[in-house]
Amino acid sequence: MIKLINLTKIYKGLCAVNRINLEIKKGTVFGFLGPNGAGKTTTIKMMAGVLAPSSGQIIIDGMDLAKDTSAVKQRVGFIPDSPFLYEKLTGVEFLHFIAGLYRLGRGQSLRHRISELLELFDLNNWAEELIEGYSHGMKQRLVMCAALLQEPKVIIVDEPMVGLDPRAARLVKIIFRDQAHKGTTIFMSTHSLDVAEEVCDEIAIIQSGEIIARGTSEVLRRQAGVDGNLENIFLKLTEGKRGEDERYLSSH
Amino acid sequence: MRDIYLLIRPRVLGFRNQLIRSESRKRPIILGCLGIVFCGGMFFLSSRVLLHFQSVQVIGDLLAHQLLSMILLSFFSLLIFSHIITALSNLYFSKDLELCHSTPVLLEEIFVSRVVHTFLDSSWMLILFGLPIFMAYAFVYRPGPYFYLLVLHMNLAMAIIAAGIGILVTMLLVYIFPGHRTRDLIILLTVMMAIALYMMFRFLRPERLVNPDAFFSVAQYLSALKMPQSPYLPTHWIAESLWASLTAVGGKGHSFEVMLTWTTAGAIMVINVWVAHGVYFMGYSKSREAKKRRLGGKKILDMFVRCVTRPLGDDLGAIVSKDIRTFFRDNSQWSQLLLLVALVVVYLYNFTVLPLDKSPVRLDFLQNELAFLNMGLAGFVLAAVCARFVFTAVSAEGEAYWIVRSSPLRIRRYLWAKYLLYLFPMLLLAEVLIIVTDYLLDVTCFMMILSSCTMFLMVFAIVALGIGCGAIYPNFRYQNIAQVSTGFGGVLYMIISSIFIGIVIVLEAGPVYIVFMSKMLGNTLTLLEWILIIVAFLGVLVINIVAIFKPMEMGLRALCEYE
Repeated sequence: MIKLINLTKIYKGLCAVNRINLEIKKGTVFGFLGPNGAGKTTTIKMMAGVLAPSSGQIIIDGMDLAKDTSAVKQRVGFIPDSPFLYEKLTGVEFLHFIAGLYRLGRGQSLRHRISELLELFDLNNWAEELIEGYSHGMKQRLVMCAALLQEPKVIIVDEPMVGLDPRAARLVKIIFRDQAHKGTTIFMSTHSLDVAEEVCDEIAIIQSGEIIARGTSEVLRRQAGVDGNLENIFLKLTEGKRGEDERYLSSH
Repeated sequence: MRDIYLLIRPRVLGFRNQLIRSESRKRPIILGCLGIVFCGGMFFLSSRVLLHFQSVQVIGDLLAHQLLSMILLSFFSLLIFSHIITALSNLYFSKDLELCHSTPVLLEEIFVSRVVHTFLDSSWMLILFGLPIFMAYAFVYRPGPYFYLLVLHMNLAMAIIAAGIGILVTMLLVYIFPGHRTRDLIILLTVMMAIALYMMFRFLRPERLVNPDAFFSVAQYLSALKMPQSPYLPTHWIAESLWASLTAVGGKGHSFEVMLTWTTAGAIMVINVWVAHGVYFMGYSKSREAKKRRLGGKKILDMFVRCVTRPLGDDLGAIVSKDIRTFFRDNSQWSQLLLLVALVVVYLYNFTVLPLDKSPVRLDFLQNELAFLNMGLAGFVLAAVCARFVFTAVSAEGEAYWIVRSSPLRIRRYLWAKYLLYLFPMLLLAEVLIIVTDYLLDVTCFMMILSSCTMFLMVFAIVALGIGCGAIYPNFRYQNIAQVSTGFGGVLYMIISSIFIGIVIVLEAGPVYIVFMSKMLGNTLTLLEWILIIVAFLGVLVINIVAIFKPMEMGLRALCEYE
C-alpha cells in the first residue's frame, strides 16, 4: 500500500532524510520511531504531500505522489503533530470545509457521517463552538475526525497521542486497530514506545535520516540482542545517545 | 535593571542573527533604497511647500508654523493609536510571555521590557516620515545646530509620551473588559476612534487655510491662522520650542516647554509602572481565558455563504465559504472595512470641494483632464485596498495552510478561487469610485466610458497581482494579518501595481489628447491618428492580460515550491 523508494530530503546542505526505502502492506499499523531530529516529521510531511522530496519516490496505493498528486491525496488522511486549524470556524463548519476539499458532496449522508465522527470523538457538545475555544486535545481529536471523514486508505499520523487525555488516547488506539482491521494502512510516528508496542504490527527506527532497524517487536529484539520491552531495544539500537545518557547519570 | 536588559536581549540578538544569517542580501538593500527614495521624496515635497509659503508675504511664516503644529499633532495621534495596537500584542499576546511570567523576574521589569518592545515597534515610523519634514524646515529656515538637537530629543520625548498614553489606555481597557474577546473589542474601538478622528480632521477642511478667499476678511483669516492649539497638549510645547529655535537667532528660547515636555514624559512612564503594578498581571491573566463563541448573525451569514458558493464546485465553495466566515467573525478583519468606507467617503468628498471654477484653464478641459488623472488615483486607492485584503489572502491561511497543502485540491484551483473571491468586491469598489467621481466632475460621456472601462480592465490585473505577489511572498506565521501587507512582498506589490497603473495611464494619454484636441478644434481624426489610438488601446489590453496571468503563474510556482 505504501512504498518509499530512495526517499531523500536535503535542507540547506543538511541531509534530513537519506535514501529511505520502505514497503508497507495494506492493513498494517506501522510505527516510525526515532530520537529527536532523526527525520520522522520530515518523512511524514513528504508522504502527506506537504513537503517536496529532494529525490526519490513515494508510491501510495500504486500511484506516484509526485505524478498523481490529487488522486493520492484523496486516499490519504493526514494528522500532523500540531493541530493548527481555522480558529474562526466551528467544529462542524470545519468538517464541512474538509468535505468540500475532498469533494465528499453536501448531502444527508455527509451530515450523518460528521455527526457520527463527532460523537465518536466526544466532540458533539462542542460542534457548534468556534475552534478558537477548543483545548489542544480537542483540536487534535477534531483533526482526527477530519482525517477519518473521507474514509482514507492510508492514514499518516505524526505523534497522535500528544495532548490527549488517557481516555481519548485509549479511544485512538482502538480506532487505529479497528481501521487497520478494515484494511486501512496506518503510518504513525511516535515517541511513546508503549503505544508503538501496543498498537503497531511493524516498527522502523530512524536515526540521522536513515532506517537503522525494521520489523516486528520480536525481530527488533533479536536484532538488538536484548530482552525486555521496546524501550530497551530502542536505547540499544540508538546506542550513541544512550552512551551520553549513562555518562550523564554516572557523573551526577 | 539587569533583568530588564536580559528580557530585551533576545529581541536584539534575534535582530542581529537575522541580519547576519539572512540568505537574501537583496531584500534589505531594496528596502533601504526604497526608504531613501521615500525620505528624499518627502524632503523634496516638504521643501517645495515651505518655499512656497515663504514667498507669500505677511502670512508665509504663520502658515509654516501652523503646518508644523498640524504635523506634530498628526504624528502624536498616530503614535498613540500605533502604541495601543502593538501594546496589545507585546504586553498580552506574545508567545514568549508565558515563559517570562514563569520566571522569578519582577512584574514591573517584565512590563518595562515590553514597553521598550512596544516603543521600538511603534516609533520607527516617526523617523521615516518625520525626519525628512523636519530636515526640510531646517533647509528652508537655516537654523543653528541647537535645532537638530531639539528635533532629536523633543521627538523622542513626544514618542515616549505617546507610548505612555497608548500603553496606559491598553492596560486599562484590558483590565475593564471581560476576559474573552478583549483583543477584538480593543481593536474595534481603536479603529473606530481612528476613523472618527480622520473624518473630523478632513471635514474641517485644513486646505482652506491656504485659501484666504474662503474667509470674509483678512483679519478673520489671520486670526484663524494664529489660533493656538491647546496649551496643555505636548505637541503645542514641542511645536513652540522647535519654531523658536527655527526663527530666533541663537535659538535658545522656550526652555520652559522643553522641561515641561520631558517632565511629562518622565511622569507618564512612572504612572505607567505604578498602574502596571496594580492591573497588568490581572489583565494578562484575563487575556489568557478561553474565548467563547457568539452566535449572532449565523443564519444571515449561512444564507450569504450559500448564495455565494452555489455556482462554485465543492472544493472552491469550501475555500470561499471558509474565507467569508473567517472574515466576518474576525473583528480585526471586518472592522477594517469601516476604515475602507471612511477612505472612500473622504476620497469622494474631496471631489465635491474642488474649486474648479477658480481655475484659469477651460472648465471642460480641466474636468476631463482631472477625470483622466482620477483613473490613476482611483487605481492607486484600489491597489492600497488590495495590498491589505488581496495580497494577504494566501497568508491568511496561517499555520493551517497544511490542510490545503495536504488536500487533493490543486494549488492552481486554490489560487483562482482566491482570485474570484476578491475580484467581484474590488470591481464593485472600483466602479463606484470612478463613476461617482466622474459624475461629480461632470465629465463628457466619452471620458466616463473610457475611465470606467479602463478601471474595469485594471481591476482584473490589480487583483491578480495581489494574489500572485501574496503567493510568492507568503507569511503563514504572522501575529497580526495587517502586518503581512507592510512586509517586503507588500511593498513590492504596491510598487509593481503603481508601475502597472502608470503604464496604462501613459498608454492612454496620447489617444485621449488626440480625441480632445480634435473635438476642441472641430477636426476629424486622420488615419495615422486612428492607428495610434488603436495601437495604444491594444497595448493596454496586452499589458492587462500579461498582468493577470504572469503573476498568477509565478505565484503558483512559488506556492508549489513552498516548504
